[in-house]
Amino acid sequence: MAAYPGMSMGEAHRRITEYLNRFSDAVSNQDAASLRFLLSLSSNSPFLLSLADALNTFQDSGRLIKHSDHYSQFSDILFNLFRSLQTYRLGNLFDSYQAFEKSANAFIQEFRNWESAWALEALYALAYEIRVLAERADRELASNGKSPEKLKAAGSFLMKVFGVLAGKGPKRVGALYVTCQLFKVYFKLGTVHLCRSVIRSIETARIFDFEEFPKRDKVTYMYYTGRLEVFNENFPAADNKLSYALTHCNPRREANIRMILKYLIPVKLSIGILPKDWLLEKYNLVEYRDVVQALRRGDLRLLRHALQEHEDRFLRSGVFLVLEKLELQVYQRLVKKIYIIQKQKDPTKAHQVKLEVIVKALKWLEMDMDVDEVECIMSILIYKNLVKGYFAHKSKVVVLSKQDPFPKLNGKPVNS
Amino acid sequence: MMNQVGSTETIAPADPNSFEIRHVVDASQGQTSYFPPTTGSEAISWTIHRVDHSSTQNGILPSSTPTYQYDYQTQPPTRNVQDGLNAASLPSSSSSVGATNVSQDYNGYASYPNSTDPYGYGTTGYPGYYNSYPQQQPNHSSYQQQPNHSSYQQEPNHSSYQQQPNHSSYQQEPNHSSYQQQPNNSSYQQQSNNSSYQQQPNSSYQQQHSNSSYSQPVGAYQNTGAPYQPLSSFQNTGSYAGSASYSSTYYNPGDYQTAGGYPSSGYSNQTSTWSDGSYANYTPHQYANYTPDSSTSAYSSGTVTAPSSHYQQQQYKQWADYYSQTEVSCAPGTENMTVASKSNVGCPIPGVSSGYSTSTSQAPPSYTSSWMPESSSSEFSSVQPAAGISSASDAYWQHGAPSSQIHITSTMQPQSQKPLDPKTSYDSFLDQQKAAYSQGHNLQYPATHQVPQSYQSPANQQVPQSYQSPTQIVPSSDTRRVSKLQIPTNPRIASNLTFGLPKTDKDSSTTGVAVKPAYISVSQPKANEKVSSNDAADSMLKPGTFPKSLRGYVERALVRCKGDMQMEACQDFMKEMITKATADGTLYTRDWDTEPLFPLPNVDAVNKDSLQSSTPGSSLPKYKRSPSRRSKSRWEPLPEEKFVDKSASVVSDTMKYGGWINANDKDRKPFFGNNGNKENNMSGMKFSPLDQKNASKNAQRPVKKQRYADGFNVADNCDASSDSDKEQSLTAYYSSAITLANTPEEKKRRENRSKRFEKRQGRTESNQFKPKNAGAGNLYSRRASALVLSKTFEDGAARAVEDIDWDSLTVKGTCQEIEKRYLRLTSAPDPASVRPEEVLEKALDMVHNSQKNYLYKCDQLKSIRQDLTVQRIRNWLTVKVYETHARLALEVGDLFEYNQCQSQLKTLYAEGIEGCHMEFSAYNLLCVILHSNNYRDLLSSMSRLSDEAKKDETVKHALAVRAAVTSENYVMFFRLYKTAPYLSTCLMDLYVEKMRYKAVSCMSRSYRPTIPVSYIAQVLGFITARPRNEGSDEKDSDGLGECVDWLKAHGACLIADNNGEMQLDTKASCASLFVPEPEDAVAHGDANLAVNDFLTRTSL
Repeated sequence: MAAYPGMSMGEAHRRITEYLNRFSDAVSNQDAASLRFLLSLSSNSPFLLSLADALNTFQDSGRLIKHSDHYSQFSDILFNLFRSLQTYRLGNLFDSYQAFEKSANAFIQEFRNWESAWALEALYALAYEIRVLAERADRELASNGKSPEKLKAAGSFLMKVFGVLAGKGPKRVGALYVTCQLFKVYFKLGTVHLCRSVIRSIETARIFDFEEFPKRDKVTYMYYTGRLEVFNENFPAADNKLSYALTHCNPRREANIRMILKYLIPVKLSIGILPKDWLLEKYNLVEYRDVVQALRRGDLRLLRHALQEHEDRFLRSGVFLVLEKLELQVYQRLVKKIYIIQKQKDPTKAHQVKLEVIVKALKWLEMDMDVDEVECIMSILIYKNLVKGYFAHKSKVVVLSKQDPFPKLNGKPVNS
Repeated sequence: MMNQVGSTETIAPADPNSFEIRHVVDASQGQTSYFPPTTGSEAISWTIHRVDHSSTQNGILPSSTPTYQYDYQTQPPTRNVQDGLNAASLPSSSSSVGATNVSQDYNGYASYPNSTDPYGYGTTGYPGYYNSYPQQQPNHSSYQQQPNHSSYQQEPNHSSYQQQPNHSSYQQEPNHSSYQQQPNNSSYQQQSNNSSYQQQPNSSYQQQHSNSSYSQPVGAYQNTGAPYQPLSSFQNTGSYAGSASYSSTYYNPGDYQTAGGYPSSGYSNQTSTWSDGSYANYTPHQYANYTPDSSTSAYSSGTVTAPSSHYQQQQYKQWADYYSQTEVSCAPGTENMTVASKSNVGCPIPGVSSGYSTSTSQAPPSYTSSWMPESSSSEFSSVQPAAGISSASDAYWQHGAPSSQIHITSTMQPQSQKPLDPKTSYDSFLDQQKAAYSQGHNLQYPATHQVPQSYQSPANQQVPQSYQSPTQIVPSSDTRRVSKLQIPTNPRIASNLTFGLPKTDKDSSTTGVAVKPAYISVSQPKANEKVSSNDAADSMLKPGTFPKSLRGYVERALVRCKGDMQMEACQDFMKEMITKATADGTLYTRDWDTEPLFPLPNVDAVNKDSLQSSTPGSSLPKYKRSPSRRSKSRWEPLPEEKFVDKSASVVSDTMKYGGWINANDKDRKPFFGNNGNKENNMSGMKFSPLDQKNASKNAQRPVKKQRYADGFNVADNCDASSDSDKEQSLTAYYSSAITLANTPEEKKRRENRSKRFEKRQGRTESNQFKPKNAGAGNLYSRRASALVLSKTFEDGAARAVEDIDWDSLTVKGTCQEIEKRYLRLTSAPDPASVRPEEVLEKALDMVHNSQKNYLYKCDQLKSIRQDLTVQRIRNWLTVKVYETHARLALEVGDLFEYNQCQSQLKTLYAEGIEGCHMEFSAYNLLCVILHSNNYRDLLSSMSRLSDEAKKDETVKHALAVRAAVTSENYVMFFRLYKTAPYLSTCLMDLYVEKMRYKAVSCMSRSYRPTIPVSYIAQVLGFITARPRNEGSDEKDSDGLGECVDWLKAHGACLIADNNGEMQLDTKASCASLFVPEPEDAVAHGDANLAVNDFLTRTSL
């Protein structure tokens, strides 16, 4: 234990008592804001840090808690909270999490008994703290070679909190916040299938209109459910949810906007809508720039190169497969370019695109593909309605429709 | 589970009892059915036995009758007490016999619930049987003598479920018919008593018993050892004469008191209720009688005393009559009887029954006329049935098969002797108890031996039988069931009570043990020995007799327990331990202070076991119920719940009758009785409307009664449970059908138990009970613990797994056989059949080099995997085994096994064990791409690939396949298909069909006007040669033909062009393509599981 110079026993005692008084005052005055402050472990506020020092100096805080009836009714909360603070200050995050979860558990018991939802803010703080602490504790565990499981524990704890809030009544307003914390946990753990039950309970509950939730939570919720739709390759739905999140997001929160755009741009691309360059620049989404460029130019090489370059990133965010599917649009663009060139040369024969021309064009792009392969791709393009026309096998010619041979997606996904 | 296992074993004593009961039932049945049973030997034996018994009984009864009967009665009580009560109070209650037992049960319920269950069941069952027997007998006597018959008949209707069937059969036999009905009533009453016992039951039971009891009790007494009973009853009467004393003495003051408390309030209430209800006639008498009796704990005692003499006398007479009658008339009845006996057998609770019988006997005397006839049957029966049935069913299940057969014969004789022998009242009590035990055992044994049992039981039962014999048989089964049910409840109660005092449980167990010896001794002709054994048993029963160190041990053991369930499980376990210790004589010599504590049992398992053992038929429902009950109630509630269960089970039991009978029939196909039983059942079915009504009435009534009782007597326990009781009883009622399904299991259990008993009997014959029992007990316990463990394995119940010390369970194999067939483990692995690592290596080599087909190799590899798992070997060998198996599985397309191996390999690789990691991550990738079609899985699989892995050729190939699939690029796919490394081809094989279909539908949409089939064949991999010019692959005519066939099979339109080359008409095909039903489709969806197909594909 480090020594804490300048902190006398009396000073430590004073600070602890001050904290205890503030806590009991906050509860008795139903002052959620100050209660939230008192619970926000990871805020690293000087007040809490000095309290932690005081606790490490003055070890017998349990006696102080029991000293007065004001505190002793919250002894389960406070005692474990103090323990958590102490160990947090000492950098022992695993123990800190353990103690904090106990404290939070005790808090929930109290919260359950409070008729009104005044303490929601404090509960939010708890839910947030427990997730953040769990993540840090897991990092600590992993670095010690132990299996990180605290985030999982936090997930099940938050599920319990959700159960406390999800019923009828004024506390339901808080359910979405906890849901969002749960999403964060599940996405981090890669157990997104667990989201389904929470979503169902949010979206099927008719007793509470979704619009009544706080805007902040709605945006977060839409962001995560939009991401889930991206996983499911349900692009229209993903577009809806992510667009909702984008339009309701606080415009000054550029980091949040960027996160939303990270998923919204691939979704928009796959339904044929390309972003402006300034948007990518502004939100530092340059990894998409080459992709967009490839789509504009029909440059298959560029697309493949971009995908390969950012493969890890795209794989991690889960948009890799979405971007990969843009290949067909790139082919479409390429054929369209050939068609336009032919039209300039000889408008009467423009609608007949010879396969070898396409193969040659691909060769220029250093794409080594033989006739069969290209034929197959043309066939797929026609099949997917990216190209109107037919393929004549005998003459190896793509015969394009004279009317709108390259239909635009117009917000609809590529399909069969 | 422990309880059940333990209970069954520990219960062994109880089982004997149950057997006895069953025997009794059998006997009664036998009496009625004796002749009918048709087994020549049995019939003969029966007759002989009967003669003996009758003579003995008669002789005994007359001479010692009072004492004997008392003794018997007392004995039963003691058993009950011991079993159920086990607690100190119980011993005393033992004197109270049936009634006491009931009361005890009540008491026990409160404390015991789980642990007692087995015991309780047994005891209850026994009592019930006894009761039923006695009742039957008494009924018969009383019936015959007393007018009750009419009322009985009415009652039978009430009880009608089973009784009616019986009645029908009985009716066939004139005497029997009336009797049967009456008996049924009596039995019902008893049952109802039992049920009532549970809540009010004690009082009601006793009262009922006492009321009907005269008939019933008598019957019970008679049942236990009809002759004995008479004697005992006489004694009882004598002792009872001071009826108060009876109750106090016989019924065990404690029981009586409990009962008394019940009775007094309950009696009056009951009386009122009863009288109000169907009992009107009875009630008055009964009440009159009862009230006095019941009001005091004395219920039975008071009634008993007066009635007892009568009963005994009557019984004696009846006995004689019965014997003659039963024998003669039984033939028809016998069939019924057999059924009943079956039920009885099921009931195995002879000991209990004895207790019951005693109680019943006591109660019966007073009530006999009034009770039996009137209501007791209807109301009580209903109530009792509910409770009783469940217990009975339980008892049946547990005791049924095993106990009944073997033990009975031997014990019977001893019992009879015992009755004669009984010296003092106490001795007599003990003797009686012992005798009851012995009788019960005898009966049970007879059941197995049927003939002897029947004889003895006849003696015992004959009296009852004579009364009820025909009816009784059927009814008896009911009653038995009821009684059993009741008994079980009682035990539970007792156990509950004891639970509070761990020692009490032990006592109970010890008592049970002691009882067993007693039984054994009973089997021996000399009563004195038996008596002594009984005494010993009694002493054992008393808590005070346990060494202090043992108490300390128990306390230590219980301190560890978390929650009531575990506590109960532990108690059961310790009961078993103590029983064993008592049996092998180490109870006082062992150093309990240093005795290591046993591992905490898996509560779930225990519960399940207990449930299973308790109610075979209703076990399922109970299971479902049990958790909620437990969760709801702690100590006191539990007992109540059990009561409820029992009551519910009672209903089910009544329902089960048919089931029982059927089961019995199956078991005893030779018996005519079976047919008769069936007929009875059928008749019962026909009557069903009435029966059902009755049943429903009964069920409802019982509940009410229970409530009354609760309110009055057991207000503590019962109030909460009454509602649930109703539900349970209903569920039990509905679930009765389920019992039928369980019969095979029951049979097995019975067989096992009967084997156990055989061993014990042999030992008992030599009087060296302890050593033998000890050995058996050890085996048993070992098995039990293994069972528990294995169950925990299988259940995967969250609770228990954490408590298991896996290291201690890890097996070190010793088997040197290289070849071993795979057999899914159903129990803890035996090291002698598990191969150590070196041998497994050889086994793997053997599989590698084997020329046999995949089925053989798969089997061998699975057994290797199992041995590895069992020994927790996780190293290179494990990886190699799984890789080998995965490859083999891939080769034959056995995706199920492959997935198992793949998931294991994933964790093994993650543990850092070397292997062909790359190859299998490629396979994994392919598997995800091709077969799961889950983008999230695919993404995570891809993102998990290391850079190193991405450079691996196999993985590269897999990734390329992935790209081809996601872009639906069929050309690329089939090129990759041709160049697939290792076994990737095999995985891709499984996707080829899908890909081809997609490709053709794509082509038919986008190509116009035609495509050459040769091109399709080349692009879609039908032709292996590298394509150069489309349509130039004549050499691959085979592939071309295959392609044509494939296209035709999928509805494509093929035309020949001018050159005679086959072309695909794309426009026409566009609409006509379809995916044909796979020719090798199997109903379960996995063609690999179709053995024939599999064999044809994999055979060499």
